[in-house]
Amino acid sequence: MKIKLKRLLLVPLIVSVTGCANLGVEPWERDLLAKKEMALTSSPIDATFDDHIYFSKEASSGGKGFGGGGCGCN
Amino acid sequence: MLTKKLPPKTYQKLSKSTQHRKVTIENRVDGFSILFFAMASQCEIIIETTKKSLAKRLGDKLAKEVWRIEDKYSRYNVNSICSKINQSNGQAVAIDNETYLLLNFADTCYQLSDGLFDITSGVLRRIWRFDCTDNVPTDEQVNDLTAYIGWYKVSYDDQTITLPESMEIDFGGIGKEYAVDRCILLSQAITDKPVLVNLGGDLCATSPRKNNQAWQVGIENPDFQAHKEQNQQMIVSLTQGALATSGDAQRYLLKDGKRYSHILNAKTGWPIEHAPRSITVVAPQCVQAGILATLALLQGENAEEFLAEQGIKFWALR
Amino acid sequence: MQLAKKLGSKKPNREKVNVKLALTVAATALLGAPCFVNAAETSALNAWSFDTAVLYYAEVDRVTATEAMLGASKTFDDGSVLSLKFTLDVLTGTSPNGAVAQPTTQTFTRPSGNGEYQTPANKTPIYDGFRDRRVQFNGQWTQPLAANYTVSGGVHISKEYDYLSLGVNGSLAYEFNNKNSTFSIGSSYFKDTYNPVGGIPKPLTVMITGSGDEDVDDPTRLGKDDTKSSADIMFGVTQVINRRLIMAFNYSYAKVGGYLNDPYKRLSRVNANGEAVDYVYESRPDSREKQSVFTQAKYNLGGALLKNTMLNNTVLDISYRYMWDDWQINSHTIDSRFYIPIGINSYLEPHFRVYQQSAAKFYQPFLNEPDSLPTYASADLRIGEMTAYTLGLKYGTFVNGGDELSFRLEYYTQRLTNAGFNEPGILSRQALYESVNAIIAQVTYSF
Repeated sequence: MKIKLKRLLLVPLIVSVTGCANLGVEPWERDLLAKKEMALTSSPIDATFDDHIYFSKEASSGGKGFGGGGCGCN
Repeated sequence: MLTKKLPPKTYQKLSKSTQHRKVTIENRVDGFSILFFAMASQCEIIIETTKKSLAKRLGDKLAKEVWRIEDKYSRYNVNSICSKINQSNGQAVAIDNETYLLLNFADTCYQLSDGLFDITSGVLRRIWRFDCTDNVPTDEQVNDLTAYIGWYKVSYDDQTITLPESMEIDFGGIGKEYAVDRCILLSQAITDKPVLVNLGGDLCATSPRKNNQAWQVGIENPDFQAHKEQNQQMIVSLTQGALATSGDAQRYLLKDGKRYSHILNAKTGWPIEHAPRSITVVAPQCVQAGILATLALLQGENAEEFLAEQGIKFWALR
Repeated sequence: MQLAKKLGSKKPNREKVNVKLALTVAATALLGAPCFVNAAETSALNAWSFDTAVLYYAEVDRVTATEAMLGASKTFDDGSVLSLKFTLDVLTGTSPNGAVAQPTTQTFTRPSGNGEYQTPANKTPIYDGFRDRRVQFNGQWTQPLAANYTVSGGVHISKEYDYLSLGVNGSLAYEFNNKNSTFSIGSSYFKDTYNPVGGIPKPLTVMITGSGDEDVDDPTRLGKDDTKSSADIMFGVTQVINRRLIMAFNYSYAKVGGYLNDPYKRLSRVNANGEAVDYVYESRPDSREKQSVFTQAKYNLGGALLKNTMLNNTVLDISYRYMWDDWQINSHTIDSRFYIPIGINSYLEPHFRVYQQSAAKFYQPFLNEPDSLPTYASADLRIGEMTAYTLGLKYGTFVNGGDELSFRLEYYTQRLTNAGFNEPGILSRQALYESVNAIIAQVTYSF
């Protein structure tokens, strides 16, 4: 069951890699993407604090980056 | 010579972008930002004012001016004066005063660079395609083409220009900078509010922002935009005057471990060796900044020395 | 190159000045006199930028943490970025010690082995009040390598009273497809040393009650300190889908080894009627293998429908993470943020997060006395079954021409649930899974 689930979740990853050629924008269409609020981590400070809180209160960490960890809180 | 920021594929892109000729206006903390696309670049005009109507009027006017210059001097536009000259088959072509002044400026640059900067060197594009492959032309190919290069073979006056058959001219090395300066002149005629004109990284400011604050300008590093999580830009603080960048790290050839930069010596037809990847220069007007950056790149390994000895402020990326 | 040299250093100085001068004359002929009396003035290139933030985290009746952070970063001419970050934490309050509540008063030995504290009847046993300080330093260097390649490396140092963590990380990113796609690979390694008060307890030994005597060797202690190491590797892809949408996909693998117990956590051993007989120190495996997949989408709403309404340029940020490990913990996390611009220079950002995890295979709320001791057991609620929700709101405003001031207020609640354990006798009337409720408040100023 677990194996199946893993495979399922990897599907979007593969689709994304092979589908790259048709996706994307021309340079002059980057106006919206260039905004700070469209950055994947638009507020790194909030993200750092959140990683720290959830690392110390829950059993999962990371995933997005090397979030959490590095302290004796868990 | 430099045909900067206009890669070979640009033809489709340009024709596509002319269909997308629209101006968008956005609110900023201290004013408005007007965005449009021209000359294969994202362009932005910033004005510090509370009046949206003024910003809109300015933006429309400046965008129109940039598109006018693009249409008039683009070698990709078959109706441009540039194309007319290039297809004249050795016949004299009538030119207006604006074109005459631009040719004069190009002539000065040719003289100052001792022939290294030459607006007739665009034909080299036929054999030099800087697509990051190992597609380096042969000596023979280069020699064949250099016969069609040489500004001294062109005759012009304030009425006509005569270009020998099979030769071409190209305003790519000065057109965008000229458009920036034209926008500044127009802005000053329309308003005394602080205005910043940024045409894809070549830019100029009319005056400091209010309270004498400097403009914080992010210059996109051509080589470095990874990690969308951060804004990787070089931040320059500019009170007034112009800033222009020459060079493009994305365009080169690689053969037998040797890297060929896209900066070509118009006299030999071969790339300049050991040139910085890009140079950003500060000057009162954008055409000066742009040509100084280009002339510096043409000095190869002496690029920084060339600018430093003249007391010119610059940043080089190697 | 000969020609280049002619214009370069070999040329007399007088002629060089002429280049600048001649260009000024030529530009004036082209455009009229320069608009400016002085040449352009530029300054303060690549100045440092700073982030300062204070976070306050308070659980009802439990832990309170105050965290202050100072971040500084500088971009250099070649596009390299140096960022430094200092963090200071002060942690006070109490935390569950793992034992179950009883209808009678319970007595526990302090972690130091000296002295005791008591938990009143019908209350979840907690550590005696504690106070800890933590200092942390992070340094990161990011540098463009060749065209389209970026490398980054960093160090991490964190020190608290009983814990030291040292870490390094490195990553490489490659952009392609007209910078619409990015592939990245990263790795990190941490080496931690635990130096708990009273030493490292021997797993599953019975906690001795009564005042300890420092001169006597304590049979429940293994030593003064122990270490833990974690190695992570991550692969990521980001893809611009269209003008309004960008997506990210990550896969991470982590291997943690060494001392993975919480030295302050115990389990109650109860008899058939649910009464605590004694307390043993927890015991976890000495390795853990974690994997996760993560996907995120950022979408700029807007379009004709929203044009000129408040929701124009609203950005939706949704991510999902699935994590699984060889302790049989699985977790799902959905995190969403909604960036709503207000007027010219402010924004509101609601935040909603749901987290759900299954219990570790060796998790159990207590041990049954007649049974023999299992190899691994822990009553730490953080590896038990739970669902947690976060509801928050952030308000940000741009001041002084670009500085950003923001306030964030959030509510975090953890609903702990019984993963299918019977509650014999008196335990059925005790609250074994008390929820955790916390307020998070944060002020950030970036300049």
